[in-house]
Amino acid sequence: MAAPRSCALWGSCGRGWSRVMRGCRLPGLRSSWPGSPLGARLLSQEKRATETHFGFETVSEEEKGGKVYQVFESVAKKYDVMNDMMSLGIHRLWKDLLLWRMHPFPGTQLLDVAGGTGDIAFRFLNYIQAQHRRKQKRQLRTQQNLSWEEIAQKYQNEEDSLNGSHVVVCDINKEMLKIGRKKACAQGYKTGKSYGKCTEEKLTARKEWKIICGGGSRLAWVLGDAEELPFDDDKFDVYTIAFGIRNVTHIDRALQEAHRVLKPGGRFLCLEFSQVTNPLVSRLYDLYSFQVIPVMGEVIAKDWKSYQYLVESIRQFPAQEEFKEMIEDAGFQKVTYESLTSGIVAIHSGFKL
Amino acid sequence: MVTLLRGTLRPLRLFQVFPGPAADVPLRAASQGTGLLYPEHIPTSLLQKVLLTAGSAGMALYNPYRHDMVAVLGETTGCRALRVLRDQMKRDSEGAQILQERPRISLSTLDLDKLRSLPEGSLAREYLRFLDVNRVSPDTRAPTRFVDDEELAYVIQRYREVHDMLHTLLGMPTNILGEIVVKWFEAVQTGLPMCILGALFGPIRLSAQHLQVLVSELVPWAVQNGRRAPCVLNLYYERRWEQPLKALREELGITDPPTHIKA
Repeated sequence: MAAPRSCALWGSCGRGWSRVMRGCRLPGLRSSWPGSPLGARLLSQEKRATETHFGFETVSEEEKGGKVYQVFESVAKKYDVMNDMMSLGIHRLWKDLLLWRMHPFPGTQLLDVAGGTGDIAFRFLNYIQAQHRRKQKRQLRTQQNLSWEEIAQKYQNEEDSLNGSHVVVCDINKEMLKIGRKKACAQGYKTGKSYGKCTEEKLTARKEWKIICGGGSRLAWVLGDAEELPFDDDKFDVYTIAFGIRNVTHIDRALQEAHRVLKPGGRFLCLEFSQVTNPLVSRLYDLYSFQVIPVMGEVIAKDWKSYQYLVESIRQFPAQEEFKEMIEDAGFQKVTYESLTSGIVAIHSGFKL
Repeated sequence: MVTLLRGTLRPLRLFQVFPGPAADVPLRAASQGTGLLYPEHIPTSLLQKVLLTAGSAGMALYNPYRHDMVAVLGETTGCRALRVLRDQMKRDSEGAQILQERPRISLSTLDLDKLRSLPEGSLAREYLRFLDVNRVSPDTRAPTRFVDDEELAYVIQRYREVHDMLHTLLGMPTNILGEIVVKWFEAVQTGLPMCILGALFGPIRLSAQHLQVLVSELVPWAVQNGRRAPCVLNLYYERRWEQPLKALREELGITDPPTHIKA
């Protein structure tokens, strides 16, 4: 992409508008903004203030939330299949890498925002259980001569393998959460672990519901908006948002909310599509994104437009450095990022200290 | 390396979307609002059309219930055939009227009560009976999206809406056997590659018994009638509701089917 990425203007001026300028390189649009972007911005910033981008379209901020909701409502059923097809299965590696970077231990409280179908949540639980099993193996190796009393006690304890770890999956979209719950129940039955019987608990005060799967305290599904999380301050150890933050209308608000709900010492992790650094890879990636992905969406999921939005929204998202600055603005410290697959995705990490 | 790649790719115009934004966005599909020829239009490049053709053909064979894939296949492959059809329609007086007035067959445009009040044996009553018996509705046709010409988009939309009429004219139900027979008829009549592909590959999923009936009796009958009849797209069906079906069949030279297929 030859767009002027180094345009530092965007950092200060109305983000939605200037991103539209960068993304829409159509001559029709260009001719109506005479002069430099700065000049045009001064003329029309008031008008553009409440507009933002929806892919390469310009929409009002109120509209965007609704439109994004509709996109995910329509793709929910085929979401996982399409992820596998579009990324050729690589998205699994990316998510695994996110967990390895997170390196959670038993007792961690995780909030997974925009985690609708539960990919990160399940990986988190599996990771901790794997850790626990390794710990048990190590213990067994060292404790070869247990007394009968100790053995009997072991059977009685039935210690919780997760040791108080807890995941809350929060998503704005009911359909995505439904799919996630179904997966949780299916996995629970298959592996015989109690992700268990799914019971629904409605919080009547606000129009949100909480579905608790499993021995009450492992996995909760909450309907909520990333810009206005229905949680108290200082509640979670880790906050993750995987492939969700680019769909949020006000990213800065989402980051501030993330800062609020994290405990001091808590970690913010974001896995998101980012800007490709290598120019050849970038051309191939653009080609693949715009030529192949909407076609796949049409053939597999019967939905061209949602996948067109998806690839356009990736282009509208800020690059690694810019996003790092946004995270720092929200109050996080020790912010770092790691580009994966030549920058197709990046993991950003920050701490609330 | 990149410039080499660019140099080889640009003359191919493989990725350029016609019509739409200019060449400085060669790899991007047009965004909404610019270059749209009709409301549902999605401009696509040649590469996208090729991929769509392959994908939709594969998906239609894999899952025969994906009628939308058959429709997409028709749109992406039908350029030449649609132009021939359109020119043919222009030459015929009734067809030219259809092209000008652009009637649509859908539940909202059909006056069902009036149609039901028409005499037994008329086109209207037979059509409604067909809809009832097979439990279909004219509103299940997806709008055209991938045809890059507004008039041709209407022609293929008309073809889809007339498809049900053909079922009525030929007396074929909407099960897979009936659909294949109608596809053979349409393939001969319209020459659309999608019809030809459907006619040739549709029977893959048939049982041996059905296949035998198809090949020995139904296909020759469909082909004969297709050759004999004038272009069915030229009929202004909305003005022929009162016409008795038998009379219409005689006019078109369509004989009764050799074997009656149950719905």
